[in-house]
Amino acid sequence: MGALNQDVDIQNFFIFNSQLCPKEGEELKKIVYYYPPSDNTEVQVENVGLVEGIIQFTQTFNPDSPVKSLHTGKQRQLFLQPERDFWIVLTIALPVVTKVKENTSFIEYLEEDVQDNVYESVLRQLYDMYRLFWGTFQHTLEQSDLGTLMTKIEKFYNAYLKTLRMAHMDILTVFKGIQYLPLDRHTFLKIQCFVNDVESNMEYIAHTAFLYNEHVVWSGIEPNDMQTIYQYLIDQLLPANVEAELQGGSMPRNLQSPFTALRRGRFITGPSNLKQAKTVGKVPKIYLFNEDGVLEYYLVVYRALSATVCFFVKGKTELTLDQFKALDEHINPRLSPIVNSIADYCSKQVVSPSNIQESSPKFIYFNKLNLACKSTVHLDNKHTGNVACSADSLRIMADMKNTSHFLGPSGENIVKTTNDYWVFSKTSNLREFYIVLQQKSASLISISEEVKRLCESELEGIFFHPM
Amino acid sequence: MAEFDIEPGAARDSVLIASGSFDNFEQMSSSLEEIITENAVSSREDLNLIGAQADNGEESSSKAENGVEPEEEIENSVEWTSKKKHIFVLSTAGKPIYSRYGNEDKLAWLFGVMLGLFKYSRDSIKSIHAGDTTYVFLSKKPLILVAVSKTGESVSQLTLQLNYVFNQIVSMLTLKRLTKTYDERPNYDLRRLLTGVDRLIDHLLDFSETEPAFTLGAIQCLPLALPDRDSISKAIKDACSKIKNLVFAILLGNNRLITIVQMKKYHLHPMDLHLIFNLVLANESLKYSESWTPFCLPRFDNSGFLYAHVSYLADDCQACLLLLTVERDVFFPLSGAKQKIVEKLRINGGMEHINASLASLEESALAAGFPEVRHYLYKCKSTAQFYQPAACPPYARDRIKLMELYKRAHHKMHYSSRSLKLSFERSADEAVFSWDTKGFELYAIFEPLIETSSAIMSVSKLLNWIKKREDKLFHLNAYTF
Repeated sequence: MGALNQDVDIQNFFIFNSQLCPKEGEELKKIVYYYPPSDNTEVQVENVGLVEGIIQFTQTFNPDSPVKSLHTGKQRQLFLQPERDFWIVLTIALPVVTKVKENTSFIEYLEEDVQDNVYESVLRQLYDMYRLFWGTFQHTLEQSDLGTLMTKIEKFYNAYLKTLRMAHMDILTVFKGIQYLPLDRHTFLKIQCFVNDVESNMEYIAHTAFLYNEHVVWSGIEPNDMQTIYQYLIDQLLPANVEAELQGGSMPRNLQSPFTALRRGRFITGPSNLKQAKTVGKVPKIYLFNEDGVLEYYLVVYRALSATVCFFVKGKTELTLDQFKALDEHINPRLSPIVNSIADYCSKQVVSPSNIQESSPKFIYFNKLNLACKSTVHLDNKHTGNVACSADSLRIMADMKNTSHFLGPSGENIVKTTNDYWVFSKTSNLREFYIVLQQKSASLISISEEVKRLCESELEGIFFHPM
Repeated sequence: MAEFDIEPGAARDSVLIASGSFDNFEQMSSSLEEIITENAVSSREDLNLIGAQADNGEESSSKAENGVEPEEEIENSVEWTSKKKHIFVLSTAGKPIYSRYGNEDKLAWLFGVMLGLFKYSRDSIKSIHAGDTTYVFLSKKPLILVAVSKTGESVSQLTLQLNYVFNQIVSMLTLKRLTKTYDERPNYDLRRLLTGVDRLIDHLLDFSETEPAFTLGAIQCLPLALPDRDSISKAIKDACSKIKNLVFAILLGNNRLITIVQMKKYHLHPMDLHLIFNLVLANESLKYSESWTPFCLPRFDNSGFLYAHVSYLADDCQACLLLLTVERDVFFPLSGAKQKIVEKLRINGGMEHINASLASLEESALAAGFPEVRHYLYKCKSTAQFYQPAACPPYARDRIKLMELYKRAHHKMHYSSRSLKLSFERSADEAVFSWDTKGFELYAIFEPLIETSSAIMSVSKLLNWIKKREDKLFHLNAYTF
């Protein structure tokens, strides 16, 4: 194996709509957004033209299944048509290694390290995140004009693309799951009461979501919507705020002690310092999509101790500083005891990573129904490649996920890799379970038994634990 | 699990070149020149002669087959677009050469689009994925080959098929001639040289849909007891020993190899042998008369032709004998040799043995005493040979489904950067066990509810069963002229 000298990277990212300008010679007008701006217009037009050609070509054979990806020697291109006539295209430069053979070095592009299902998911997220904050492209076009749409898109993606860590996307990116915190009935009921109390007292609050550290304890909105909001909270909003709170100090993971966390609750969207605030500050507006159509909410996020509470305030509400003050008065005293009892419960349950042996089996669980996801493979949520198994075994899981439809609604697969570790996958009842075992000299029979035991202990716990 | 010192089917001298699953298609030998120079009486003259003859032979063969009109079809219909797998071949100038379905001329616009995609993507285009449809592009100078497939096959498997199609074209023209034609006239309509080849390609594509040999890169032998196969090989060797420049004598029947006798040092690649099988199976007419045809074996030497004397042994023995030589005008000596072979096989009982084996199908796994095994493929890597039992229910009528299972399993095991040693996969319909070792590959399909431990026990027993019968199921002793 040679040295990796270029990791996965964004080559370009663009959005176009061929209907915006069917005339020849003015192709540039089709382009709604193009990154990087350093590509000259000729290149931009050419890239869009090629994608249009591919779309047309594939529609000849199968108009019902839209084109998803293009593989070339050095690149991977992913396509998404999220709204009629709008196409989003993400081009990735393949990772490169330099190898030496017979004294001459040559470059090899690692095509198979970039998995379509992983990056299709990244592309989808790129759109979903935009839609969460700005609504659909079409909506903006109807409400105002193309210029406004282009400004919104540019503003959003110029910032958002910079935050993406392309190299460490894996099967978790495909799931885009939500980590829930399993609690005992009593503690869970306390949270339920808190949520009901707030929602009945503050009429303008339509829904509430309650997080403890990075885990969702309660969510009053649809899992599909929560999925994108959860990504936003975990990837963007919370890390930024936690860093600000700690003022540069480093925070160990799995920190349960309430003393180092925030003592007095505060709004992290809205007026962050209620005493000095003169306006309500910045409260993002979000768009949720369900059968009833589009619903607009203000996303008000409040943090106290290790808890994060999201209030979905009806979009027509006029936000006032007094409202925020009243809300703070109401919830701050009620939150502390709840958070303390969650912390108490967790300290009895949590197995800290140092207690887990390195060679012990690692697993990933995903439930399609509530989008619950759990991983002992990933050591944090930061997409930095901090994982407890080889990158290849994670890729094998994504391969398995990609072909699981061949096995039907329920199936299982166990494989031994050329490096002698084992990867297991099981799909059943819309739940997926993956295990990596690093036992070199084991036989298929002993591994099968081990896997069976793990399924029984882990899955039983997950299926029947109150959530 | 079963342990062997030597895996079942291994032989000291392989008749075939051991093939990796997806080996380097570019690597070609220049065996022809070597043979000619080594065996030539007056080497220079012969060499020139061969070059000239190659051209003549092909001119005449294309003339002979001229006049076949392509069938009319509806190229814009739903029926056309819903075909499971399209294959297109075009020249780098965009001239249509072959379309599996429909008339190429009516599809000229589509060939134009494909060429456009090929040219405008600054980076070499490999594949496009759109839901259940996969598009694969392969550039083999001076041609471009495209597959459009809804079969669920992987890009590497489709690429392999495109390579076969390319090799089929080369087999009728030689690469030298193909390149030269386009060097001189870039806009040349190659179909003028290729009439009749489309039928071969059609057959090749249909054939590879149900035949595991292509995926495995291996050949299946007709089961024959070791002494019987030896006596047949020996009969061929003796009858041909006096004939100069005979490179290969190949006897096959019912899509199974009976034997190969070859010139010292020279070996056939399974890919070439598959083309020979295809040639025989696609041409019913070969049954009725002896024929003489130039044929290039692309993996053996893509620059020139071998000449093949092709005939069935006898009306009462439907095995096909091919004698391949570098000499252009030895039809009659080879015809004589064939007669001698037939006589010898009648006397030594070889024909009876062949007939007996042709008449009896392979045993199913059930009949062999493995009720829990529905079907399996065993490949001995060093000899590039494989064995499969007869298909039984639920796959007896659905060979395509069976092949899909194997293709998927094979792809998973050989996915280049993440190849596997072992896989056991279970769905509601079946359990598939795949095992890749240094010496062999095994793919076995079980009942879905089988216990892992019993599956492993079956695999052990199965390997022992094959080992015991290896001298019958595989071609072990290589004979040379």
